[in-house]
Amino acid sequence: MAAIDQNTVRKDLRDFIIENFMVGSENETLHDNDSFMERGIVDSTGVLELTSFVEEKYAFTIEDDEMLPENLDSIDNLVKFIQKKLN
Amino acid sequence: MKVYDILERAARQFPDRTAVVHQERRIDFAGLYSCYRQAVHSLEKSGLNAGDRVGLLWENSIEYIYLFFAIQRAGFVVVPVDTSLKPDKISFIMNDCSARTLVCQGKFKRYLSAILENCTTIEYLFSDADFSGIKEGIRADRLSISPGDSNAAPVDDYLKSIDPENAPHVLTAIFYTSGSTGIPKGVMLSHRNLVSNTIATVEYLKLSEIDSVIVILPFYYIYGNSLLLTHVACGGCLVLDNRFMYPEVILDTMEKEKVTGFSGVPSNFMILLNKSSFPNRRLESLRYFTQAGGAMAPEVVRKLIETFPGKETYIMYGQTEAAPRATYCPPERLREKLGTIGIPVPGVDIKIMDDDGNEVPTGQSGEIVIIGPNVMMGYWNQPDEEASVLRDGKLFSGDLARKDDDGFIFIIGRKKEIIKVGGNRVSAKEVEERILENEAVSEAAVYGVGDELLGEAIKATIVLKPGHSSDQRQIQRFCRERLAEHKIPKYIEFSAELPKYQSGKVNKLALAKKS
Repeated sequence: MAAIDQNTVRKDLRDFIIENFMVGSENETLHDNDSFMERGIVDSTGVLELTSFVEEKYAFTIEDDEMLPENLDSIDNLVKFIQKKLN
Repeated sequence: MKVYDILERAARQFPDRTAVVHQERRIDFAGLYSCYRQAVHSLEKSGLNAGDRVGLLWENSIEYIYLFFAIQRAGFVVVPVDTSLKPDKISFIMNDCSARTLVCQGKFKRYLSAILENCTTIEYLFSDADFSGIKEGIRADRLSISPGDSNAAPVDDYLKSIDPENAPHVLTAIFYTSGSTGIPKGVMLSHRNLVSNTIATVEYLKLSEIDSVIVILPFYYIYGNSLLLTHVACGGCLVLDNRFMYPEVILDTMEKEKVTGFSGVPSNFMILLNKSSFPNRRLESLRYFTQAGGAMAPEVVRKLIETFPGKETYIMYGQTEAAPRATYCPPERLREKLGTIGIPVPGVDIKIMDDDGNEVPTGQSGEIVIIGPNVMMGYWNQPDEEASVLRDGKLFSGDLARKDDDGFIFIIGRKKEIIKVGGNRVSAKEVEERILENEAVSEAAVYGVGDELLGEAIKATIVLKPGHSSDQRQIQRFCRERLAEHKIPKYIEFSAELPKYQSGKVNKLALAKKS
């Protein structure tokens, strides 16, 4: 699989998160290393929505044992995880 | 006997037992008691008057637990606040109950200015962070507490010495509920409400000091609060983990800490059963599951008990207004009574009544009416709402049900969730249960929408399981095989998720408004 453009991935993820989980809070800053869990941005059903988006967008499957904070809990972690999966 | 006596007695009886585990932190009852005493001392110096309302905005943690008790011990009324609310909603709650103090965790600093901007009553902040100067006219004290030695003396005959009859019917806590109308309602609970329900729950769950429960439910939610009180009361251990969005992490914690109990709402069980390694875990130490917070489809209950046949599964029913537990199903009767919410908890009576307040014969449907020491004092400052549910000390739940010959109760719908379709009354729950039997369906919400011809038509919003597909015609065909024609949803939409209240219940009001 060709290397992905990190900036595009970051933008896609950021747009999705802001549009789906931060409605009404768009003015709040979301840093790439912010924990979704700590910030209370995504809940247990939201994380399923997020993983469905990633699976569809990047055409891979996220296994149950990959549903971990180190893979999914910030934009930085997601970018690293997506890169790892695509490589 | 007051709510804080639950902690004081546990500290005397079980000083060396672990009371709380929160990731790498753990504290025994002596340490918890010491923190509590220090917090009481600080709060007593605050200058507040007895009975003043104190907001508690703190996520599940060791601090939440001792502060919850300390606020009450200092003579104030604790108002646990939903940490996921937007600042304007928190301001609304603080203003509604005229809270003069907010006990606020430092991590909520980013929202605090916005909360205080619209608060008209808050004069004093108490926090683990420095909030001095945050707003003119507001005094801020910093919480500085560390575990030390407890001087609590042991008591004999521990649990028997807790007598709910001696618990005064005096306001000690206000829990705000989302309410189906959209405006939060403050449920006023007394020492007697909370103590009696705690002891009843300890009894039917057979809890003792060897029990430990994984706590994924927030303490500001009455079901989470019940976990807190019951496990402190029995000298058990609360294993806190606020990371349910990553179920594998929770399952690892359960195994590592050898918990004996798991308590969740339906969506917790659906996620565990469908999107985690839960069915393959051995969970050897686990003794029981409890489920409350809305009806769980019989198919899901069946899957849970078939996946874990050796564990006790307690299906329970209640509401904040009942402090909260009203019924439970003894696990040994669950298979034969699938779909039931069980029998009344010890000390509580349940009657099924018609619209005139008369008890209906066995088998006939009516409203669940709860009678007992757990019935709330009322709604804070909402006398009309209160009068509509509290009559002669009886709590009219708004849930429709019938009792079978053995006294087991089966909910057939919510009073306000009856959809009137062309003169026919249709229970939304019944239609949801049939749709959920479709193997492609993960979740379903059925509700009424305006219809020119029928007055009200049935609409279903459906979440499909990953990898499955379906369409309106397929679902209608499926329903048609199982339901009378007037019960077939006229409109069906598919969605990635259902909007939910913090409690996990589906927010059908939001769905109906969107339609």
